[in-house]
Amino acid sequence: MTEKTVEIKISGKTIQAKAGETIVHALWAADMAESVKTGCAGGVCGACTVTLRYSDGRTGGTELACMKPVEAGMEIFPCPVAEDAPVLPVPNPELSTLQSAFPTLNRCTKCDSCTTACPMSIPVMDSVLRMQKGEFSAVAEDFTTCIHCGLCRFVCEDKVKPHNMGLWVRRSLGMSRDFPIVKTTAEQEAEQEWQYLLVEDREVRLQRARQFRSSGRIEP
Amino acid sequence: MMEWAKESLEKLEASRLTRLNQPAPRPDESDAILKQYHPDYLGHERTLEVGPNAGEEKFPLELAQLLEGDSPLEPDYVPKVEIETDVLIIGGGGAGATAALTLEGSGLSVHLATKLRLGDSNTVMAEGGIQSALADDDSPRRHFADALVGGHGDNDPDLLRILCEQGPESIRWLSQIGCLFDQNEDGRFRLRGGGGTSVPRVLACRDYTGLEIMRVLKDAVRLTGTHILEEHVAMELVDDGKGRVTGAILFDRNAGKTVCVSARAVIMATGGSGQIRLHGFPTSNHVGATGDGLVLAYRQGCRLIHLDSYQYHPSGACYPEALAGQLVTEAIRSIGAQVVNAQGVHFIDEMAYRDVLAGAIIKETAEGRGVKTPHGKVGVWLDTPMIDLKKGAGTLAHQFPGLIHRFERYNIDPAKKPILIYPTLHYQNGGIRVDAECKTDIAGLWACGEVTGGLHGKNRLMGNSLLDITVFGRRSAESVLSNIPERGAVTLNNLNRFRAERGKIESATVSPQFFPSASGMKLQPVAEEEKQETDSASSDFEPPNPFNF
Repeated sequence: MTEKTVEIKISGKTIQAKAGETIVHALWAADMAESVKTGCAGGVCGACTVTLRYSDGRTGGTELACMKPVEAGMEIFPCPVAEDAPVLPVPNPELSTLQSAFPTLNRCTKCDSCTTACPMSIPVMDSVLRMQKGEFSAVAEDFTTCIHCGLCRFVCEDKVKPHNMGLWVRRSLGMSRDFPIVKTTAEQEAEQEWQYLLVEDREVRLQRARQFRSSGRIEP
Repeated sequence: MMEWAKESLEKLEASRLTRLNQPAPRPDESDAILKQYHPDYLGHERTLEVGPNAGEEKFPLELAQLLEGDSPLEPDYVPKVEIETDVLIIGGGGAGATAALTLEGSGLSVHLATKLRLGDSNTVMAEGGIQSALADDDSPRRHFADALVGGHGDNDPDLLRILCEQGPESIRWLSQIGCLFDQNEDGRFRLRGGGGTSVPRVLACRDYTGLEIMRVLKDAVRLTGTHILEEHVAMELVDDGKGRVTGAILFDRNAGKTVCVSARAVIMATGGSGQIRLHGFPTSNHVGATGDGLVLAYRQGCRLIHLDSYQYHPSGACYPEALAGQLVTEAIRSIGAQVVNAQGVHFIDEMAYRDVLAGAIIKETAEGRGVKTPHGKVGVWLDTPMIDLKKGAGTLAHQFPGLIHRFERYNIDPAKKPILIYPTLHYQNGGIRVDAECKTDIAGLWACGEVTGGLHGKNRLMGNSLLDITVFGRRSAESVLSNIPERGAVTLNNLNRFRAERGKIESATVSPQFFPSASGMKLQPVAEEEKQETDSASSDFEPPNPFNF
């Protein structure tokens, strides 16, 4: 199959790209890799944030350049988002602690820009409203897939910091959890097993490991 | 959807119910498959002519060329110290960040340099999970036995014992800094099997385990006194003139100039090298995975081990083209997705060791039982709809939101249609040789994480790399704390010795590679007068308001 070429624009400059490839790979091929920051090229580091416009009148918006395939007439603008200073999480968080850690929490005017901007389809604004009610478990669930690209904060005219708050809630809940008790084998027995497995001869060691993994103990 | 594969899809769907309750076909000739089809065994390798490994074991051709390459430093470059620190960590992934956190509060000054941004790494891309012996019928010894058998017995037993013994404690540490691993209803961690685990041992945060760990580490490191040098590329290490490593020459990508750092200790945590694309394979690795740390350490005189061994993850995406090479987590296979050929035949147990399964998939496609995409790639099916059949409707979407999210923009719903897969270059099994204290062969230089070799032998089990960065990231920092030398002179003595030795080589290669070749990215020095011009010009650019569509 011959590959179709499409015309796209990056920061006003026209380049040719292969249909179906991602924006990042199109920029690489055009020797313009540096025009958009790239970290993982796999959709999880949040470096390659861009804004898009389409020539056919469709609504554009924010995207990850590494995940978005190019289309004819697409216009791309780099949209790097600077890191925001983190806030120390606390065990057993309460609504009041979240509010004092993030004083802009209640400034949300429910415009829903943050949800629209999120490349991970997180219901960001709904989650901010849940934060205002202290529904932290639900918030932690909402932000499970957050890649911290910062677009939700970047587009917020009210200086609300959804992803920073989402991480703060997640870390705070995480550090509040009881660590499930770890069962420990009697020290003497454990040491015997190590002696058995750490035998000097490589082949014997491998053979013993094969045996040991089948039952988890030294077979007589 | 996927009309081009209609015929094969029909065969797959027709055999699904029959396959559901049939036992998985065991790989009977594992070694034969490996030797005939695994890329490690195809002889695409050679010995080195210079450095500590010269004339001994073989290295993949692409890597050998980089290891014998010349430094990008000009011959007349004279190091002049601009930053003085106690500990320089090179690498901003999980291992480097963990080391930085461990050094916090020690009173030592710490700089962490990364050529991308903090957290842009293979860690953040890890999906399936992290191993730790927490099940009732499990123990660190059993974890050890599984990993040793998986690594073909080549693992360094002392390193592996440390990894397995520190497993539960590492999970506790990660939890204490705020990582949320999935739990069962009884509040205990949910443990899954992985290829080669004899009992369920893999903890996860959905299919975003590395993202969860990395975003927490990143946040935690930003709250420490660590000086974070983002977009600072490590170009070369420096030494005291008597062999000990005493810092590094960095390249500040934004300023377009070098920065010389004097450090009492250097921790190398630069990760892997999938982006050097051995044999032209696609990779699941991040943009920076070009093996820089191997090259730098080798020039200083560090021995490298097991670098003839790379991990080709059996399930890399093969279609759509834009996702080619990207990871489809092993956890999907561990909870029921079968590996099926073009004829709808379940041809191997999908929980075979990664190298065996990768070899078997390559064999299947080489012998004409694969499915060809419109872009000319060939793969086999991963029957993802099987998961909801086995575990109940909605299981796939709930446990693997990342997979669903990536494919839905191509109108593929993995809960309804299978995914086409082919092995992808995933992990550097070997690396810099280290001892149990994470010390390399050269004083002043420690190493941890994927850049090191020995721990995983010649085939790493799923979930042991996230544990590796946690255990050995901490251990390298602890070892530095206990053994930190006094500040030494800064010279290019080791480099000059290497350069003299490589004089006999004709290669014009300059290394490390720093960025994927396909990206065309390179270090771009900016002359002083030029810099002032760009500074004033750049202020004209006004980014558009993203909501003024």
